[in-house]
Amino acid sequence: MAGSALRRLMAEYKQLTLDPPEGIVAGPISEDNFFEWEALIAGPEGTCFEGGVFPARLVFPPDYPLSPPKMKFTCDMFHPNIFVDGRVCISILHAPGDDPMGYELSAERWSPVQSVEKILLSVVSMLAEPNDESGANVDAAIMWRERREEFNIIARRLVRKTLGLPT
Amino acid sequence: METFKANDANRDELIMQQQREIEKEISDSTPLVSDQLPLTCLKAEYNGDDIFTAKIQDLAKRYKYMRRTRPDGNCFFRAFAYSYLEYLTCNSHAYQEFLRLAEGSKDKLIELGFPSFTLEDFHETFMEVVKRVCPKSSAGASEIVQTELHKVFNEQGYSDYVVVYLRLITSGQLQEDANFYQNFIEGSFTIEEFRHQEVEPMYKESDHIHIIALCTALSAGVRVEYLDRGEGGSVKTHDFPEGTDPKVFLIYRPGHYDILYPI
Repeated sequence: MAGSALRRLMAEYKQLTLDPPEGIVAGPISEDNFFEWEALIAGPEGTCFEGGVFPARLVFPPDYPLSPPKMKFTCDMFHPNIFVDGRVCISILHAPGDDPMGYELSAERWSPVQSVEKILLSVVSMLAEPNDESGANVDAAIMWRERREEFNIIARRLVRKTLGLPT
Repeated sequence: METFKANDANRDELIMQQQREIEKEISDSTPLVSDQLPLTCLKAEYNGDDIFTAKIQDLAKRYKYMRRTRPDGNCFFRAFAYSYLEYLTCNSHAYQEFLRLAEGSKDKLIELGFPSFTLEDFHETFMEVVKRVCPKSSAGASEIVQTELHKVFNEQGYSDYVVVYLRLITSGQLQEDANFYQNFIEGSFTIEEFRHQEVEPMYKESDHIHIIALCTALSAGVRVEYLDRGEGGSVKTHDFPEGTDPKVFLIYRPGHYDILYPI
């Protein structure tokens, strides 16, 4: 089983290297273990996360791509759909039925034809447009909804932090 | 704030983890597809239940053996694939026709909009399995091919990829004839949503609509015998599509499909 997962992950890595989507770099942390990847995601332009480079880790199950990977930011994050510990909470990381956040029925879900690239692109969209209906970080969701200016200031501070600039 | 329940989310994750553990227990104790068993082995499951006993008796007039499949939500697809390929192993002409159809199915799915990059992998594995069970004419060969079929279907990597590919073919069929299938969908799902939520993901159970779409896409008839608590003392039989000459025989008990062997 892990054999087919490995083959698929190698193919995805190759594809992402040959034809990387804008603002995304991703690949295995070590060539010895294709089941743990690091990704760098550029904050989308025109949003409060613009200019930041956010590192995250992806861990793939042995039955990938039948089941989805888990994804966690390894830098400080403040966002309605990211838990305080960095775990990313979006529908594409869940198969239908696995419903920790009560996603909408029409939300995009994991299936074996999805890919790492699709996940990372969804994460970029999530950074640009938080979904304050499924709050993984309650404080961030409330602030996003009610005190946007304050939210933007925190986000810009996080951006500077990812670049190693004084905050 | 009612909408924000971070603690509930963590509790849900624990529930999901527990569910995974239960699933693992099932998978460790049940093969993906069992050996051939006498049909009468069903009786032991319903010992003392008159309705089921009478119906099993009735079924035993027409079927001698069965194969159990693992109850993991993929049972219809796995049972169908096993049973149909088993039929093809001893029908060279039908096998060749299926081979052609299977070869061409990838391009058709790509035309329907499936991502070729991720589709490729499943199609390749599917074709590898199909080619491994190619009928042979030499003496004793059909037994060898059937042993190979059984082996490959109990190797999770191959077996699950076959299930995925059949799910994609089913999904493609639903899309191709969306106007027709929309009539069978309950609730507010669009065909598009239904395909992504109920057909393409692994472990999602199959309904009549999955069966009809798959049978139509592969031009393969299926007979399903329904063993349930309904009245009448005999099992209900249903052919998909209607009026077909079935090559695959399945028994359905609420929530689960197994393979049947006619006398």
